[in-house]
Amino acid sequence: MAPRAKSGAPTVASSPAAPAAPAAPTTPAVPAAPAARPAEDPPLTARALRLARPARRRSGTRAIANPLREGLRLERMPDPAAFVLFGATGDLAHRKVVPALYQLWRTNLLPHEFAIVAVGRRPYTDDAFRAELRASLEQFSRVLPIETQVWESFAERIAYHRGDFADPALYEGLARRLDDLDTTRGTRANRCYYLATQPSAFAEIIAGLGLAGLDHEQHGGGWRRIIVEKPFGRDLPSAIRLNREVGKVFRESQVYRIDHYLGKETVRNILVFRFGNGIFEPIWNRRYVDHVQITVAESIGVEKRGAFYEEAGASRDILQNHLMQLLALVAIEPPATFDADALRDEKVKVLRAIEPMAPADVAANVVRGQYGPGWVAGEPVAGYRSEPEVDPASETETYVAARLFIDDWRWAGVPFYLRAGKRLPKRATEIAVRFREVPHALFKDSHADPEANLLALRIQPDEGILLRFAAKVPGLGVDVRAVNMDFTYGSAFSVDSPDAYETLILDALLGDASLFTRSDEVEKAWGIVTPIIEAWADGDAPAFPDYAAGTWGPEAADDLLARDGRRWRRI
Amino acid sequence: MAADLSNEAAPDGPPTTDAVVPFGVAGAPGEPTLRWAGHATSVAGIEQELGRIWSLPQALAARGGAGERLVAARTSVLNLVVVARSPELGEWAASTIAIGTGRHPSRTLIVVPTDPDGPAWLRADVRAYCMVPRPDAPETCAEQVYVTAGGDAGRHVEAIVAPLLVHDLPVTVWWPGDPPFGTAPAEALVGLADRVVVDGSRWTGDGLDRLRALAALARPSLPISDFALMRQARWREAVAAIFDHDAFLPYLRSLRRVAVTYATHGGPHAEAATNLVKPIYHVAWLASRLELRVTKPLARAGRATGGGRARPLPGAAPEPGRGLRALLASDRGPDVEVVVHPVVSGMPGGTTLRVELLAERRGSELRAEVTAEADTVHVRVWQDGVEALGRVFHAARRTDADLLAEAIEAGGRDLVAEGTLAAAAALAGPPSAAPDAGEEAA
Repeated sequence: MAPRAKSGAPTVASSPAAPAAPAAPTTPAVPAAPAARPAEDPPLTARALRLARPARRRSGTRAIANPLREGLRLERMPDPAAFVLFGATGDLAHRKVVPALYQLWRTNLLPHEFAIVAVGRRPYTDDAFRAELRASLEQFSRVLPIETQVWESFAERIAYHRGDFADPALYEGLARRLDDLDTTRGTRANRCYYLATQPSAFAEIIAGLGLAGLDHEQHGGGWRRIIVEKPFGRDLPSAIRLNREVGKVFRESQVYRIDHYLGKETVRNILVFRFGNGIFEPIWNRRYVDHVQITVAESIGVEKRGAFYEEAGASRDILQNHLMQLLALVAIEPPATFDADALRDEKVKVLRAIEPMAPADVAANVVRGQYGPGWVAGEPVAGYRSEPEVDPASETETYVAARLFIDDWRWAGVPFYLRAGKRLPKRATEIAVRFREVPHALFKDSHADPEANLLALRIQPDEGILLRFAAKVPGLGVDVRAVNMDFTYGSAFSVDSPDAYETLILDALLGDASLFTRSDEVEKAWGIVTPIIEAWADGDAPAFPDYAAGTWGPEAADDLLARDGRRWRRI
Repeated sequence: MAADLSNEAAPDGPPTTDAVVPFGVAGAPGEPTLRWAGHATSVAGIEQELGRIWSLPQALAARGGAGERLVAARTSVLNLVVVARSPELGEWAASTIAIGTGRHPSRTLIVVPTDPDGPAWLRADVRAYCMVPRPDAPETCAEQVYVTAGGDAGRHVEAIVAPLLVHDLPVTVWWPGDPPFGTAPAEALVGLADRVVVDGSRWTGDGLDRLRALAALARPSLPISDFALMRQARWREAVAAIFDHDAFLPYLRSLRRVAVTYATHGGPHAEAATNLVKPIYHVAWLASRLELRVTKPLARAGRATGGGRARPLPGAAPEPGRGLRALLASDRGPDVEVVVHPVVSGMPGGTTLRVELLAERRGSELRAEVTAEADTVHVRVWQDGVEALGRVFHAARRTDADLLAEAIEAGGRDLVAEGTLAAAAALAGPPSAAPDAGEEAA
């Protein structure tokens, strides 16, 4: 993708022979690259190649690294910046974003020249808003008690900015405020916008930022980045539309789409497990793997998010993002490097290899469900249709299970069974890789049939890795029993893991997009999920509720595997 | 029952009086719980005891449930060998390690040699501590073998340690107190080690001889973790933060002077008796990161004159010495003058009080001062005499348990520590050129 020309950020002309990479910024270095060369005259010499390269980014990246940073916790401190939090009065900001920022500040991982501008519709004074944040921190900070001195130095960097997201005056005022902060706080024209609002407000905020010129990266310094929360769109057409709206204002390299699952330590460990160990990769393919099960189970209901969940359902809330990301990480080929685009290229390849389902295939490969009343953890709980803000005749699915195939060399014919649901018996996220049976049943006289090996990567809670294998029961006979060898991260590394939001916000401030989703990745994932949602919309009304709260989902989900002679792993 | 088992487990020693909590009985989260205590009087007896702990059905079943049949989860991360030169040091090390029980499942061997001229004997307490990091987490256990060895047995610590190591796990040797570098037992132990842990700031005397010996020990396959250097991370973070500023970064290659002020208790021999390891590490870190060569090692700057007075006035605070000076050279910039000077202070001797940097570039001057107190580190920077930056970092001092945890968590080489240690040894200079050592014999 060629960089677009933007006012205030002139695009360097590049030849077709040496196109600017998407990540290449549009701010020219000095000297600037030469004018475009004719397409039929590609650069041949080393010098010509060098000169034909896109201009180097100056802003946001240090020309010279600080040699004293080597060996310290961060090898580069984030640049001075203003962090503009849209939706600052909302639940996400109070529960996750601000506690993450506070923790980063507390541990000296943010620069001194840092300021937070909290943008919301409700009226607050700076002090009143800070007091509310303090109260939220007391509730949601993962490190308590709140240290007064640290809080005070953090709080003095927070300013509240009131306005309506649709009102251009909001952005004009914001621009002035940010300019002031450059002077008073030394934020050096670097801006990180965080959209923690309802998804419906994303497009108008992005447009507002664009109209006010708040997207313009400045010559010689001053980057602009925007972090967008999930869900990114509600189907493929809306995701494409939203990507287009974002793209009108920001370049892809400025956009950080959050799926907080990717910031979780244990999700990142999937990559280390797969590509940091030599023994698993040779068997990580269709020759040895029978099937893969990925589970995201929640024991909670919709809590106070009934209205949101009515519009989302399990498919949009979990399947399109968390489950697809886990599937991609399990299935990707080893990236050549660990940089953002290499990793995301490989994930996109996986998603591209999953053929979208025809409407007729949906019934055979996807199951949806909705919980009725039941018992969870010894407590009676209401059915979904009785939850606050939920339509009593709701057809929204609270459970989804799908059988997908990745049509590539490595995984052809291996089913990936995905399931996610609310009000299941326990909270558990895991990836279970079931290996093929041994080719010859040598111990058929055993009282129990040896089971095929299983490797489970537990994401949460109780993060760890479990390997199930056959062992001889001690005794005179040859009795074989399956046993678990269980490794928990907590038992080897009981160190304090950062929250996913801390990791992701710090990465965004550092300009590292590895753990964020790219536009094509989002669209590919929607391309898989949208036909499912559309087939449901076109079909008959579902017979909901079809599973009791506290059970493992509808019977049809068990049948989905039973038809293949398999069953869901007991978690 | 655990009480019975622990008594069973002491076939060749007196019954234990420790409060042993049986496997399967929940301990308080975050608190190490003693799950096993036994005794032995031989290496074979210790091995037998260790084997018995994990053959307990209770231990095997401790994490079972929901029909799952679990193999005992004894996640082991490393062998930690501690050689303590006194029972007090041994007990202190044992209590420090116990704090990290839930953090590092390991086999710890604490060996206290004693009574070198007596007959050879050995007595070992074999214990298993377990910890639940949080209420819903599985329990993690660690073995601890506390060996007191007399006579010849104590002189051949490596012969006790080698058979008790868990196979194929890295071996970290921790010497709390003064390590006996240069002795045959120390060399034999180093031969077994994958990492050596020391605390240079607790060495007796000025610590320079041991610093040189430690640097001589270091090699790529044997990383060194020195608590003295690790404790200074908060200082390094603060100093590095100065040069995160684009405006100040160019000055880094134009340093002219580095001054470190440290605490001493004063008096005529105070300087030689004050540990200099931490002050020297500050300079050494900068030198190694900036690729500065030591052209003149540290040498006494001169006699304390007390401002011209021949002797201190009666009742006046004792005068410190004038410290040490050295010279660093760079291929790219000017020479850098180093001053390490003492100030009489109520702080423990050798504590860094201030780090000052002076840089000059194209006629402009940058001066930086870093100080620390309690849980904060203060940074102030002046550019051409005008204060250009003032910043406070909140960074709690780390406990020995934290430092030990970090040391044993570290994997592989630490190039920064390697470089710093080498530069520190160069700054200390050859033994003949060294300032009065004042260290007791190892």
